[in-house]
Amino acid sequence: MQNKLSFHQSSASLEIIGLPDYSNNENKDQISIISEWKLTIVDKPLIEGKIEHLGPIMDAFYIYSNLLIKNEIPIYESKLIDIKADNLHIHNIVLKSSKPNVKPLVLKIGNSLLSDTINCFDQLNESPKVRIKKTDISTNIPKKFKFGLNKKVKFLNFFIPPFFAICSLILFSSSFIYFYSPFENIEKKELTNPE
Amino acid sequence: MTIWKLRNNNPLRKSYVTNNIKLNEFNALIRITVEMSKYLYPYIREIMKSKENIEDNSVIWNDFNKRFIELIKERFNIDSIRVKKLLNQAENDEIIIKSLLTLSFCISNQGYQKLKNFLYDF
Repeated sequence: MQNKLSFHQSSASLEIIGLPDYSNNENKDQISIISEWKLTIVDKPLIEGKIEHLGPIMDAFYIYSNLLIKNEIPIYESKLIDIKADNLHIHNIVLKSSKPNVKPLVLKIGNSLLSDTINCFDQLNESPKVRIKKTDISTNIPKKFKFGLNKKVKFLNFFIPPFFAICSLILFSSSFIYFYSPFENIEKKELTNPE
Repeated sequence: MTIWKLRNNNPLRKSYVTNNIKLNEFNALIRITVEMSKYLYPYIREIMKSKENIEDNSVIWNDFNKRFIELIKERFNIDSIRVKKLLNQAENDEIIIKSLLTLSFCISNQGYQKLKNFLYDF
């Protein structure tokens, strides 16, 4: 008997069907071996697939939603799924079948359905009853912050004091150019010693 | 009272005070924002949906946008260029939609961490 778990958020629901891993002494209501999953979005065709498709599809949604918020060009393309923005409110999803001669499934969803879908995936990721390969996208501190900010501060601390020191040296020493002229001195010496 | 005072750290506000916000205060504000987003998710969703079908259902979006502008005029420094951008109806759509989307993506149990990451990367 297979276990079935559902995650709902407004107009989207995600259903996970599978078995517990008895070799790991798991509870009978746990799902570790996923055999089937279904994503239902109201007024849209049913999305279902194998376990190896679930991870990439979730990653695609997470990456795309990150791009959307970060003012970067919101386009995600892969062998399995393409997502791009038609405009600020509508997103175009193309799901490509792994079977030959099957036309890709094209869906257009708005921001409300996109956030419902992301929230269903979040619920799945956070569920203690399902063990899947967790995505790192939503939990890691972005690299931009980790490296960008710290390095910028360190670089400025390192660079600014010597830069000002060199500038002040140049400015200070340049003023002496007008006080000393070696050619004038040589001429004066020649005048005093005409030999 | 403390939370109310913390709002004055926003440089766009009329009552801006140059206090440096502490890390624990920053974290507390994020937690409050996430909890409010969870509570208000149905409304946030309806506002976004209203904008998707603006020809069929523009009432919710228009009401929200009107109230948003009223609050900005009342509380923000309208001489600031950034505030002027928020008030400009031709330009503020994108800012509002992206802010609503950010909030709607952060209503899960790990929403606090997600929102924090979004803000660090902003």
